[in-house]
Amino acid sequence: MADEEISALLGRVALRDRAAFAALYRQTSPKLFGIALRILKDRSEAEEALQEIYVKVWERAERFASGEASPLSWLAAIARNHAIDLLRVRKPVANAIDEAYDLADPAYDPERSAVIRSEGRRIDACMEELEKDRADAVRRAYVEGLSYEELAEMFAVPLNTMRTWLRRSLLKLRECMER
Amino acid sequence: MTTQKPESGDSRRDEVIAGEYVLGVLSAEDRRKVEARMATDRNFAAMVSRWQSNLASLDAAYEPVALPPHVYAAIERRIFDAATDTRPSPGLWNSLALWRSLALASLAAVVVMAGAMAGLFSSAPSGQRLVADLAGQGNAVNLVARFDAASGRLSLTPAAASQAEEKSLELWLIKGDDPPISLGVLPQSGEGGILLAPGMHRQLTPGSTLAVSIEPLGGSPTGAPTGAVIAQGRARSL
Repeated sequence: MADEEISALLGRVALRDRAAFAALYRQTSPKLFGIALRILKDRSEAEEALQEIYVKVWERAERFASGEASPLSWLAAIARNHAIDLLRVRKPVANAIDEAYDLADPAYDPERSAVIRSEGRRIDACMEELEKDRADAVRRAYVEGLSYEELAEMFAVPLNTMRTWLRRSLLKLRECMER
Repeated sequence: MTTQKPESGDSRRDEVIAGEYVLGVLSAEDRRKVEARMATDRNFAAMVSRWQSNLASLDAAYEPVALPPHVYAAIERRIFDAATDTRPSPGLWNSLALWRSLALASLAAVVVMAGAMAGLFSSAPSGQRLVADLAGQGNAVNLVARFDAASGRLSLTPAAASQAEEKSLELWLIKGDDPPISLGVLPQSGEGGILLAPGMHRQLTPGSTLAVSIEPLGGSPTGAPTGAVIAQGRARSL
């Protein structure tokens, strides 16, 4: 469905319009449920999560700024973040962001590309520049909400290798998108 | 090989952490740290939202799945049975701190006027004055709306006008669960006032909500809000 239509519904939801909320739910819930189900892999848990997701949508609709993001992406991000939060609580993984990051290699220098371009390249084209298994790891992390531990096991590489793969891939993607 | 210290404000590292957050690979605790930083560090928050929009095309991988009807019923119960007023206003109030000091002077002027005119318009309901603070998350524009029932004038003071090119700001009145009613389009620049139709006077009561949406130039083509709501607030007695 058209972005403008969802934007308009979100605008009305921000004004506490129940009919608009029902319409928004009808139009978008199959997609958001698909997200919750894919990440949580459990139907009743995903149904419960979907309820919480739409409560958040109701509460946060006023924060949606059209023009900034596509409305469906904005909704999808709420759904993904919520499902991933549940997943990480259900099955904790190691904390990492306070440790050292090994980021050698890609030539990305954010200072050099200080001008943020609004569009940049499509992520798909940039994913193709990554080695195939790394692109797969990025995609599976995003789509299925896999942790570093699960990815390492799946690709049969040590945990730290997987971390390095993904972190460098992120820098390569950033560099590619701004090229 | 270079490694960065955790405390160094390394922007490559920040880019990676922002990307990891959006990918979803971080632990629950790390996710909360990232979100806390997003709330205080605009550059970092911008990195996260850039990854968000960059990676959003991967959402195409999610197949829609139909839901049983009882799920929506449960959502409605959660939202609408919880409380009639789902949103207390402290969040709005906090974000208003900045402009409110600016507006204090003009508010004071209104209060003085109200005092001076009390003798002229002493019959209670028609002398009613309301004020509402309207604020949006992105703070593109903040407004204070004042309504004087005696003159039927609703005046608006924008604290910061947005760079709305070829767009209009439209003001809406929302009462309970009713659909929003358009009160009119705000003047394109500076302080704006809208003269309310007499039939509207009774509608504008304490507790009703005023909201401003971004609309095509000239106002919503449909009679209902079509664009983003940039500010809203509840009317209270002055």
